Amino acid sequence: MVLDDDVQFDADVDFGFDDDLFGAAFNEDSSASSASWLDDFTIKITQQFSGQINNHSVDIPSLFSFPREAELETNRLGANIRYQNAFAPGWLLQASGQIRSYWKDDYEYEAEGGKIDVEYRVNEFFLQRSFDQHSLKFGRQTVVWGETTGNSVLDIINTTEFRAFPIIDIEDARLNQWLLVWDYFGEDSNFSSFLNIYPEFNPPAVRGSPFFFEPAFNLTDYDRDSGLQFEAGTKWRKSFEGSDISFMAAYLYENQMRFEDPISGIGDAVAQVNDFFLLGFSANRAVGKLLLNFDLAYSHDVQADSFSFPGTASLANPVNLKKDQIGTSFGFEYAISNEQSISLGIQAQKLLDEDEGLLPGQSLINDGVFGSWLVRYSNTLMNSDLVISSTLQGDLNANSLLALLGVDYTVNDNWAVGGQIISITSNDASPLIFFDEDVRLAATLSYSF
Amino acid sequence: MRRNILGKGLVCLIAAGLLFPLQIIAQDLSAREIMEELEDNRRATSNSALSRMQLSTCKFGVREGKITCAERPRVKSLESVGKGYGTDLRDTRSVAILLEPAAERGIGMLSFIYDDGARDNETWLYLSALGRVKRIASGSSDDETEPGSLFGSEFTTEDQDTGKLDEYEINLLEETVEAGREVWKIETIPNEERALKSRYSRTVLYVDKERFVELRIEMYDQYGKEIKRMLGSRVEQMNGIWVARSTTIMNLVTNRLSNMAFLEMHTGIDVPDEFLTQRTLTDAAFRETELEKLRAQIN
Repeated sequence: MVLDDDVQFDADVDFGFDDDLFGAAFNEDSSASSASWLDDFTIKITQQFSGQINNHSVDIPSLFSFPREAELETNRLGANIRYQNAFAPGWLLQASGQIRSYWKDDYEYEAEGGKIDVEYRVNEFFLQRSFDQHSLKFGRQTVVWGETTGNSVLDIINTTEFRAFPIIDIEDARLNQWLLVWDYFGEDSNFSSFLNIYPEFNPPAVRGSPFFFEPAFNLTDYDRDSGLQFEAGTKWRKSFEGSDISFMAAYLYENQMRFEDPISGIGDAVAQVNDFFLLGFSANRAVGKLLLNFDLAYSHDVQADSFSFPGTASLANPVNLKKDQIGTSFGFEYAISNEQSISLGIQAQKLLDEDEGLLPGQSLINDGVFGSWLVRYSNTLMNSDLVISSTLQGDLNANSLLALLGVDYTVNDNWAVGGQIISITSNDASPLIFFDEDVRLAATLSYSF
Repeated sequence: MRRNILGKGLVCLIAAGLLFPLQIIAQDLSAREIMEELEDNRRATSNSALSRMQLSTCKFGVREGKITCAERPRVKSLESVGKGYGTDLRDTRSVAILLEPAAERGIGMLSFIYDDGARDNETWLYLSALGRVKRIASGSSDDETEPGSLFGSEFTTEDQDTGKLDEYEINLLEETVEAGREVWKIETIPNEERALKSRYSRTVLYVDKERFVELRIEMYDQYGKEIKRMLGSRVEQMNGIWVARSTTIMNLVTNRLSNMAFLEMHTGIDVPDEFLTQRTLTDAAFRETELEKLRAQIN
């Protein structure tokens, strides 16, 4: 029996309770339901449209100006498939992947010369063996360090790829890598260690995407013949009442490659990679309804001149200057009610001994304290069928601001629709100047089973 | 084959008969002692226990004097494992894993509930999208906010709390009848320190005198307004413990209700301590292997 939405309950008037309202749950015969191999699969099919809708021009002061016209950027049908099967005691196989088909007017369709393009990608693919106090996982997977959600200075093990603005959450853009992960679960604390013998790097922007800029030289992969590259790290975690703390140490490669001009002036750009050491600490503290998160990272020998805008590669500043860097993330999460929550994350980094090694007239791209802030608010309505969320993201120097408003509506257990509007404002001190005054609309229709 | 709890009717009748003398003894219990018996009964349902529940949530209204859903309920099924710890097993550690819907399968919640009022309860959630365990702030710091919710339902960590009785003034208001059963009507009022952590300034419980099960609980805010009501029904013996197999909590401010249906409950399970740790949330191979061992104990 379904009531009108405007029916109200008066607490002063006593009422009866229909015990059979949820009685159907007890009629279930658990022995009647038989397991199927299909139960191990979760599939989500999504059609997405997004585009820039504001006709305007972008002015780069003292350089140039270019028009930005309203256009459809993405028109794509995709399927995300996830498989998890504990096929034997202590064993687990987990895999996930995606298929994308790019339709007319999608930037990938245009980049393919007006042909429908289909792309496959394996995300997770790992085999896990757990025994006694140990767990070993080998395959494509992610390692997430740090407590702050979205912009932790410690969440740098896996590479990232940003292809479109409607995906702005780091967890959506994180790429899996081939890793061997060993977890040891002690009585009072845990160790988690990883080894990566094939470090990967942030892929260059896809041709035609909003992040793509025609480079002066062709961007290539790193020449791996120059020696064995590997990454390794370990984390120790312990829980106390009201708090969890972790210490970590790692030998890593910076996820963003740096590109130098070819020596002869013609040919491909030369990709350079940089290894460095990371020491980290993270902690959280629950205080009533408030959760505080803190991450601290000390990086030894990072490149001072790496252009860090995600998804793009740099041809500039071939200084090859190494420095130490200290970074911190601070997160504040507050659950206003069962339906509403708000969070704030601030990430700040600083290169140490900034002037050391600089030639006269040179300056660092990231001078002083640099970083970003992120505010998220979400409100679930209509019995969680409707979720309204908003995100504001900017850099600490107030050079850019990205504002997002999202609405997701669950039609039923299978169907869902969503919409987003994203606005960007920036000045010429931020790489986001290329998207200044852009307004994007995105819509998705998805079917899950 | 799993033991069917509904097939234990004969055992229930015998147990009910054995409990009759307890009813006579119970007449002389103080309000505090009644609450202790009630909490012992609550703890027994989660001590060395494996349960399967269905959690349904919807907006509600009243039609022809009956509560009913004003929209399609959101239904989740979950499996829960718990165990008692500490002095007289008065602390509880439990882990709940979502089985359905498919999109949320495997999301787990680990809870430590402490008897001592000086110790705040703790909750961790595994979020597969983030790929990590996240601590949940579960306390409540003011009267306008909800404590941590159980998988988005109206059941909160505070509603499932046990212990901390020293931090309450407990009064027996009257002996009356609720849902056709003789009950004690008991109020609990938090002391100053507990009031800072609780959303409720006063709670009134209707406790079945024979079975030590709450048939109704009213929760009031600082202005004396009833903001939540919980109703227990289908009171049956499961593994020798009286349980309200269907518990419905109504948020009278948002007109939203959640029903928890105990589909199966098995006690006397040998639950290894390692299972009630964060490992169960993150290590799916370990979790599934250990769950199979626990399920095998039922057969």
